[in-house]
Amino acid sequence: MVDFWRRNIEDLGREEVVGIIDRELHGLYTEKYGPTKDLIIYLAPRENIREIIRRLMTFSYTRLSVIVGNDERYFRRDFSLTYIVAFDKQNLYIGVRAYLPEHDPEIQSIADMVKAAWWNERENRDLYGIEFVGLKDKRKLVLPEYWPDDAHPWRKDHPYNKPVMDWREGLPDYKPVGRHEDLDVIGMGPYHMINDEPIHWRLYVKGEIIVDAEHRGFHNWRGIEKIAEGRLTYNQIPFIAERICGICGFTHATSYVQAIESLAGIDIPDRARYIRSLMLEIERIESHLLWVGIACHILGFDTGFMLSWKIREHIMHLAEILTGNRKTYGMDIVGGVRRDVLGDRLAKARDSVKKIRYEYRELYNMLVNNSILVKRTRGVGVLPRDTAISYGVVGPVARATGLDIDVRRDHPYAAYKELSFDVPVYSEGDVLAITLVRLDEVFESLDLIEQILDALPGGPLAADVKGIPENKEAVGVVEAPRGEDIHYVRSGLYNKIQRWRVRAPSYANIPPVKEMLIGYRLADAPIIYASVDPCLACTERYLVIDVDTGSKKIMTDDELRAKSRKLSSRIG
Amino acid sequence: MAKYFEKTDKWVVTFRYPLEPLEPPRELRGKPEINPDLCIGCGACAEACPPNAITKEIDYREGYARIRIFYGRCIYCGRCWEVCPEGAIVLTNIFEMATPSKDDLIYEVNLELHTCSRCGRYTEFTERQIHRAYTLLTRIPRERRKELLDRMFLCRDCRRQVFSHDALRSRRTDKYGRASQTPF
Repeated sequence: MVDFWRRNIEDLGREEVVGIIDRELHGLYTEKYGPTKDLIIYLAPRENIREIIRRLMTFSYTRLSVIVGNDERYFRRDFSLTYIVAFDKQNLYIGVRAYLPEHDPEIQSIADMVKAAWWNERENRDLYGIEFVGLKDKRKLVLPEYWPDDAHPWRKDHPYNKPVMDWREGLPDYKPVGRHEDLDVIGMGPYHMINDEPIHWRLYVKGEIIVDAEHRGFHNWRGIEKIAEGRLTYNQIPFIAERICGICGFTHATSYVQAIESLAGIDIPDRARYIRSLMLEIERIESHLLWVGIACHILGFDTGFMLSWKIREHIMHLAEILTGNRKTYGMDIVGGVRRDVLGDRLAKARDSVKKIRYEYRELYNMLVNNSILVKRTRGVGVLPRDTAISYGVVGPVARATGLDIDVRRDHPYAAYKELSFDVPVYSEGDVLAITLVRLDEVFESLDLIEQILDALPGGPLAADVKGIPENKEAVGVVEAPRGEDIHYVRSGLYNKIQRWRVRAPSYANIPPVKEMLIGYRLADAPIIYASVDPCLACTERYLVIDVDTGSKKIMTDDELRAKSRKLSSRIG
Repeated sequence: MAKYFEKTDKWVVTFRYPLEPLEPPRELRGKPEINPDLCIGCGACAEACPPNAITKEIDYREGYARIRIFYGRCIYCGRCWEVCPEGAIVLTNIFEMATPSKDDLIYEVNLELHTCSRCGRYTEFTERQIHRAYTLLTRIPRERRKELLDRMFLCRDCRRQVFSHDALRSRRTDKYGRASQTPF
């Protein structure tokens, strides 16, 4: 990891910053164009990419959001890689694009400089076969270990209906990489009840203290983006996008439709913008209350768990009345929303916000005054600010480390420009700070819902969509409950999309968990892991391997949770 | 704390659901039902359905179009209800659909196909679609309507033949023997 001396550009406007970047990158790029108003793309030869990213990362409040690979061999016989860098204080996304020739797709790795590229590079290596020179971690990220090295499923010529290997030969065992000598290994996972994706952690412990951690995830990776590229039309994709995540599905649908609206230049009606904001805030409250309940449950504070889930139930009933479903609201469509908020539903919404506010204030006081909860979370799982910047963390995790970023305010979408709200920021970076950020945000969301209900403008629900232009690209960004959710869309021919890249917030927030775990006790691992809200260790079983003898001991979920709870009772 | 529980005690969120019947809110997006009397078999629902729960098949041998909904695939988004031009699909708030047999989850509407008035073969559209198009024709000016009515009841092949025949005839009748402008 390289520590950058960061230049402060927080107070500068967008035009000024674009001018500075132009001067800074002079001679390194060959062409510059802006497909949409908040995305500027620089084309550069591949040798210069590392230097360009290094120079962009010397500005303050920049982070590498996502690296989008694309198979453009039908247009120009090249692969492309687009490094999308977010400038959070200027409402700007800079894309740096390099074309890699078909016969030699090779580029220099930047994962040692910017940690956020670590997973992105491994993913592009798996799916497109792009070779990153200097990437130390050459394990597979997305595909299983036994997948053949020459089959890359996201190349457009990859046969979708032919098996890539002979399954009758049997599958090789999973072999952990980077195993330490003289250390006990504790495997957590891969099955988690409340996570989007099952994750397997290997914790290397010395006694009770975690000294290193390894990650293996993507067991449930199913190539949802390829399905959308292959057969769905523009208006069918919001529904599959909503099913990417069970907790924050609406943010994915909104992100996707915003990208399409951005590339087609569609202005959506005011009422649709407000209803989108309303549903996004309802989803945020629902997600945060779920997380609070789970965190209390891990720490052995089941009263908090029950109460927060009781409050959550009010918001679920409200969502059911407003959209027709408790989750997967199905409200988004390209150009607007599908269902109106009318008369008695407005009254019901006001009523439930009042109830939630009363109950939640009690719960909040109960939680922050609970000495066990505070002792178990204060100073635990500290994420240093430099590490957070390098990993490009987003959302409550970033705000708990003192990074004042919030997509709702920095890249305004839906109705957030016309609403007033505070962004809670703490600077400790421990689990307590993350918890407090989430707890405070619920109050802000309740305020926002009341503001939206008061200021809901009239008018139509959806704009007239005349058609989607071909071969244009855009990004759509939404602040999910867990952070920035970014969708890159490139439109293709015949009313289909050519490339769709979804980067959920957990994709940025899970890699630094590796650093957060080190140095803390095994009993703290569940809460540290849960603090970034990917999920927590509600797994079916844990596997303890004694490295010396190779003997295995099954440690059940209840045992590890009991371990965590025992620590709570000792503190209390 | 006691006051808190006293006040919030009334706000019950749990139900004794399987033991007592649960009344879902009327807004619930539940089972979509096709009214076979109103369906014209246009297939707009099948086009819009994101998970392909609704499909349209045409059987030229037996002479019917089949709109088939399989609730096992349905995601209850309600797009079919939105796009249906006839209002034949209704969203109910039925959600208890568990059944021991998969066949209970399939509902089909079979509609008669139109036969071409020239060659007598089945066309790809249903009688009801023709009827619907016929009622729409009243909005069109009389001269234009005559021309459309001639071709409306034909199958796709016959329509093409009649059209090219007309076009050729109009060329032949050119007074100066030159290739005249095509009628389209």
